[in-house]
Amino acid sequence: MNDKSDQISPFLVFFLIVKIQVGVGVLGFQRIIIQSAGHDAWMAVIISGVVFSLGIWGMYNLLNRHDMDLIGIQKRLFGKRLGGLLNIIWILYWLMVGISVLRSYLEIVQSWVFPQINTWMVTSIFALLIYYVVLGGFRVVAGICFLGISIPSYLILTFYFPLEFTHFRNLLPIWDHSLKDMALASKQMSYSYLGVSTLMMYYPLVKHRKSSQKWAQLGNLISVFLYLCLTILTIGYYSEDQISRYIWATLSFWGIVQMPFVERFEYIGIATWVLVLVPSVCLYMWVSARGISQYFKMKQKTIYALLLILLVVMTNLIKGREMINQFVDYISNLGLILEIPYVLFLVCLSTVMSNKKEDKK
Amino acid sequence: MKRYSFFKKQENHKSTDFTDVLEHLQKSKDFTSFTLNFENEIYCVSFFDTLIDKDIMHRDLLPFLHTNSSTLEELVHNLPIEGLVFTKKPAELQSQLLMGYIAITLNNQSDQAVLVKAANNTSRQVTLPEVEFSVVGPKEALVESLDTNLYLIRKRLPIAELAVEEIIVGKLSKTRVAVLHIEGIANSENVETVIQRISDLRVNQIIDSSYISQMIVDNKNSPFPQFIDTERPDRLAAVLGEGKVVILVDGAPHGLLGPSTFFEYFAAFEDYFLNWTIASFFRLIRFFAVLFSILMTPIYVAVLTYHYELIPKDLVSTLVISRSGIPFPPILEALILELAIELLREAGARLPTKVGQTIGIVGGIVIGTASVEAGLTSNVLLILVALSALGSFTTPVYQMGNTIRLIRFPLLLMAYFLGLLGIAISFCFLLVHLLRISSLGRPFLEPLYPPRIYDMRDALIRLPFFLQAKRPIEVQTEDTVRLEPKEDSKD
Repeated sequence: MNDKSDQISPFLVFFLIVKIQVGVGVLGFQRIIIQSAGHDAWMAVIISGVVFSLGIWGMYNLLNRHDMDLIGIQKRLFGKRLGGLLNIIWILYWLMVGISVLRSYLEIVQSWVFPQINTWMVTSIFALLIYYVVLGGFRVVAGICFLGISIPSYLILTFYFPLEFTHFRNLLPIWDHSLKDMALASKQMSYSYLGVSTLMMYYPLVKHRKSSQKWAQLGNLISVFLYLCLTILTIGYYSEDQISRYIWATLSFWGIVQMPFVERFEYIGIATWVLVLVPSVCLYMWVSARGISQYFKMKQKTIYALLLILLVVMTNLIKGREMINQFVDYISNLGLILEIPYVLFLVCLSTVMSNKKEDKK
Repeated sequence: MKRYSFFKKQENHKSTDFTDVLEHLQKSKDFTSFTLNFENEIYCVSFFDTLIDKDIMHRDLLPFLHTNSSTLEELVHNLPIEGLVFTKKPAELQSQLLMGYIAITLNNQSDQAVLVKAANNTSRQVTLPEVEFSVVGPKEALVESLDTNLYLIRKRLPIAELAVEEIIVGKLSKTRVAVLHIEGIANSENVETVIQRISDLRVNQIIDSSYISQMIVDNKNSPFPQFIDTERPDRLAAVLGEGKVVILVDGAPHGLLGPSTFFEYFAAFEDYFLNWTIASFFRLIRFFAVLFSILMTPIYVAVLTYHYELIPKDLVSTLVISRSGIPFPPILEALILELAIELLREAGARLPTKVGQTIGIVGGIVIGTASVEAGLTSNVLLILVALSALGSFTTPVYQMGNTIRLIRFPLLLMAYFLGLLGIAISFCFLLVHLLRISSLGRPFLEPLYPPRIYDMRDALIRLPFFLQAKRPIEVQTEDTVRLEPKEDSKD
């Protein structure tokens, strides 16, 4: 699994970015942003997307200048100790996001499909699957991300069904809410876009990496577009009062789907969502393990085994809606600080330091 | 050019001299040795009765021995036969006698011999393909003799660049394995990998080409085959033109080709003989049949065990009626029927032909009908299982059909444990497995992943020949032009 044999072609970065942004968040993001910004929430989607686009630009700026992954950059910029501390924060952050994604999905399974399911068993099975994926190297992880978009993309067709009942007048009047509401909604929207920071870890494994920014930006654009369409559809279909009662609005959409061969389409949607979920968690695990392996000389298998045991244990310790909400909030706040402002700060720092070097010369 | 494998070095130490060799071989009843007295010299002729073609000996050799040669070296020049070898090495004498050569020694000299090639080359006649029969197209199949197979391929590719490397593998069987490729088209890395892996084999016997296939694949633990196994020489000739490497084994009527991708296992060669629209349609049918075959019974088990709510309301009454009175849960029902079908298939394969056909019909119809009437299984499930079995037989490559039947069982069990979620997880597992395996180092799921749009012209669908002007990217050929561009008609 050395770097040379594990390279992926640049346009797969598109799929990696879309996959990490379109995860479990798609199923239930609408309630939170509509609570803050009402029928103007679609603008929050765009604003948040633009901010993340800026973030991606910043990441590429940083990565292109140093040509190494985030762990290396932080070591270089901050020295061994402070850099090591920051690296640990990042690794823990990615790990926690992975855990939160899995836990959210399990909550959906518990609420909609199997109420009495044994969570230990299911998480262990997921952990085994993820172990099998990540041991294949980054090419396999990128592959499962690609398949995790291509195969579930048929679900987009199901949004034809609610379209009949939408009232697009609900979107008017535009800009009815204060700037503060919009800012809050944008912040809450960003939980869905989190994860692009993983780009900073798999950057060295991309062929022609300096020119791959267009694919990342395109990926971000497509995610924004998808979320935008969903938001507009949600605003048009539900009333504001209704939406505050539906935790998972997208799943409720699938309740409207009528097909001659199946009664309740949500089950099929949730089952397909496994294929959407597993690649995200795999990517987070891979990124964390790669960070850890740069500090400890352990065999890949040991690192993954430990991480996955941690995943199983922590996923099962978080019980109940309240705890999940708290956990997700905490992680998304941390993520919001880390992914955009901190990255831009790194960009500034790195520019200043390289200018200094040039001045010295 | 012959290459010898690992065991050659050991043999060189054993044999001592000619008389010892001949004495040792005399112990076999079918080893014959007689002397011929001519005026000047007395020749001793030795050979294995069962290995040689007696016609060659009586017609081409014995009448001409009367040549007045004083030494064996002169005899080599005077005998009007091709393929004469003059040897002084006892090891060569022994090995060539065992390959069907006739040894001529002078009675008073026992350290030199002349070897005459007289091997018996009877083999099966070239007949219809049994496994990959096609309605249109050539109907020749490979036979067990390597030389005949090489003839069948060479006559379709009469170019100098078709290179045949021969390797002897197997300490006991000394099987000739031929590796074919077209120089200038096939990627030399692929060729070198294949030759290297075959030369490194240290087995005792190679009975069939599937032995080679199992021993040199990239992923030995995967149930998916990684070399396509075919008995059609026209298919082998066509893929050689695409840049693949072909392996032929003496004694095996199947040839191997690599590197292969997952989608090629669903491409029957007949697709190329039909119009591209029809061929694409058939390929898609095959693909959906296989998906249906893998997923239908697990979905039945999952829905009836956990997700009753999924069944459309018109179908609920039918299913409830068919399930009523059945003492087993859906998983047991499904396992019983699946195992019954597998039993039928195995029994039909092991019985002699005449009895096998009757059992197949009787077993299928009687067991099926009787079990439904006895109330042991539901008729809906019987239909699904029968259709799944049919679906698994649509794959043109036999090994892939076996794999499909095998992977249905883990999916069944996962459907029983976790319902639809279990099916999704095991399907994901299957996809990851396919992503991880490779064929001769090339990714197995190409052109799906890594996505190569150019190669998709011949994967799930087949586009017309004029749109497939270049060779597939997955084989990484050295020369990519397959369809010569049209010349300027103004000239």
